[in-house]
Amino acid sequence: MRPLDWAVLFIALAGIVLYGVWKGRRTRDLEDFLVADRRQPWHRVALSIMATQASAVTFLATPGQAFADGMRFVQVYLGLPVAMVILSATAVGLYHRLKVYTAYEYLEGRFDLKTRTLAALLFLALRGLSTGVSLYAPSLILSAVMGWDIRVVIFIIGGAVMLYASLGGARAVDNTNFLQFLIIMGGMFVAFFTIVRLLPADVSFLEATRVAGKLGRLNAVDFSFDVKNQYNFWSGLVGGCFLALAYFGTDQSQVQRYLSGGSAAQSRLGLLFNGLVKVPMQFFILFLGAMVFAFYQFTQPPVFFNPVQLEQARAGAHGAQFRALEDTYAAAFAEKQQAARAYVGALRANDTAAAATASRQLQSAQDKANGVRAGAVEIIKEFDAKPNDTNYVFLSFVTRYMPAGLVGLVLAAVFFASMSSTASEWSALASTTVVDIQRRLLMPGASERFYFISSKLATVFWGLFAIAFAQYAGQLGSLVEAVNRLGSLFYGTLLGIFLLGFYFKRVGGTAAFAGALAGEAAVLYCFFRTPLAFLWYNVVGAAVVVLTALLVNAFIKQNRGR
Amino acid sequence: MRDETHEPETREEPPPFGGSWRTLYAVLLVNLAVLTALFYLFTRYFG
Repeated sequence: MRPLDWAVLFIALAGIVLYGVWKGRRTRDLEDFLVADRRQPWHRVALSIMATQASAVTFLATPGQAFADGMRFVQVYLGLPVAMVILSATAVGLYHRLKVYTAYEYLEGRFDLKTRTLAALLFLALRGLSTGVSLYAPSLILSAVMGWDIRVVIFIIGGAVMLYASLGGARAVDNTNFLQFLIIMGGMFVAFFTIVRLLPADVSFLEATRVAGKLGRLNAVDFSFDVKNQYNFWSGLVGGCFLALAYFGTDQSQVQRYLSGGSAAQSRLGLLFNGLVKVPMQFFILFLGAMVFAFYQFTQPPVFFNPVQLEQARAGAHGAQFRALEDTYAAAFAEKQQAARAYVGALRANDTAAAATASRQLQSAQDKANGVRAGAVEIIKEFDAKPNDTNYVFLSFVTRYMPAGLVGLVLAAVFFASMSSTASEWSALASTTVVDIQRRLLMPGASERFYFISSKLATVFWGLFAIAFAQYAGQLGSLVEAVNRLGSLFYGTLLGIFLLGFYFKRVGGTAAFAGALAGEAAVLYCFFRTPLAFLWYNVVGAAVVVLTALLVNAFIKQNRGR
Repeated sequence: MRDETHEPETREEPPPFGGSWRTLYAVLLVNLAVLTALFYLFTRYFG
């Protein structure tokens, strides 16, 4: 990091905290704190929704995903626009008309208290645990690449968010999310144009893109149907739609964003804008990763992108063997670079036969380099049972090759991405804790002022909990991975409960509750006993909840008839 | 909170642009179809 980068990073972080505190300074009551007085215009709702969904890991892992596996990940988002239409046509109007603070409040009016409490507790448990992990994961990557102490990174992100989120509530969160998202996307565009500029002078952008395509990195869509594979069109459209319905329709961290809309129309527009631009945005971020891949066909990459583990391997018991593998990797790269240039030359000469030959040589050189890398990864397994450097690819490129000032800007964007999703999570956790648990169950009948202060304290509590969890997450090992996967195990059930509420008017609370238990059992069965791709869990969970509830409801009615 | 969960929405605010909500929903779905077609052509061309 050069002084200019430090200056940009410091100004950006200090600026956003001051902006958040300033924007939230007029927050004076519970309505204001939990739903920003329901006055946000649609463009703020839209960008706040997008900033909440896109965490730092999204911006670090997605380019890495394209680098390692190509662009097929974009298909996961194909169901999202459909979900935005469905939610705009149903849930948004309902939530606005009922003037709820949380999505779970709706469930009591529709079903009963036990269904509302079950959904609220599920959200608190899942989001409470995952918020610590979502603070830890980007901090780990930033600390490894920048050489910073991870505790300092966690404290900076957590402390900054806690300051403005606890003082200004949803108003501060929505306004900072809006600004942060603009800067994040600005940082991504700057990174993209820097990559294009850094390509060799004798290789055009289109030629580099064709090299990436030839090596399988531009595989955006695949129409083959396979329920074991989540990266195809059908899994993305159907499974992705159910996932988006669950996330945007039942997860308070998202519902709270559009509850703050000035009207149902403003909230709808916010969701629809998200549906319009989310897929192209993900495509762009993946394409950024594919261009990093193209760049590294002409500039030698490290054999492994996590710098900490790279150094550990070099200095470890098998250090000599590892360094020899690095030399072999350099030779394999030289061969690959030569093949890539031959391929570009053949394309330029419009020589189909030469292009086909060079293409085969390129693929062969790529396989050879991959083989050497696999050997290096085996040595790294000495320090990490499941070494994976995908999340380090993009940041490693940024810190090595981007000019002074722009490194600071991209790092600020990564910090902002982490802060925006974290702030929304803490704000949503606080609102559910106070509205669904404290005000409804534990301490009903207190003054609005009391609940307003409680909401601020709840934000601080969840912030401290997340920071503490993140500090120790490194010692939890595979538990972190388990927590990450936990969300996908419960979304289908939550969605099923809400679908019953929205579309099956005759189903009562007891039937919905029984349906939820059956749906969860079905999802857990799929998780432990079947190879089903995780996107389909939401479809299975929601379907079993609805079908079981309909059966139980019919049974209850039949018994009443007797 | 009153149980208004099934009351029909009597006065739906129209969107500030685009004419009607149905039109905006259609725009979104057509956009998805066009993007999918473009992704297919992109995959075919560079693959």
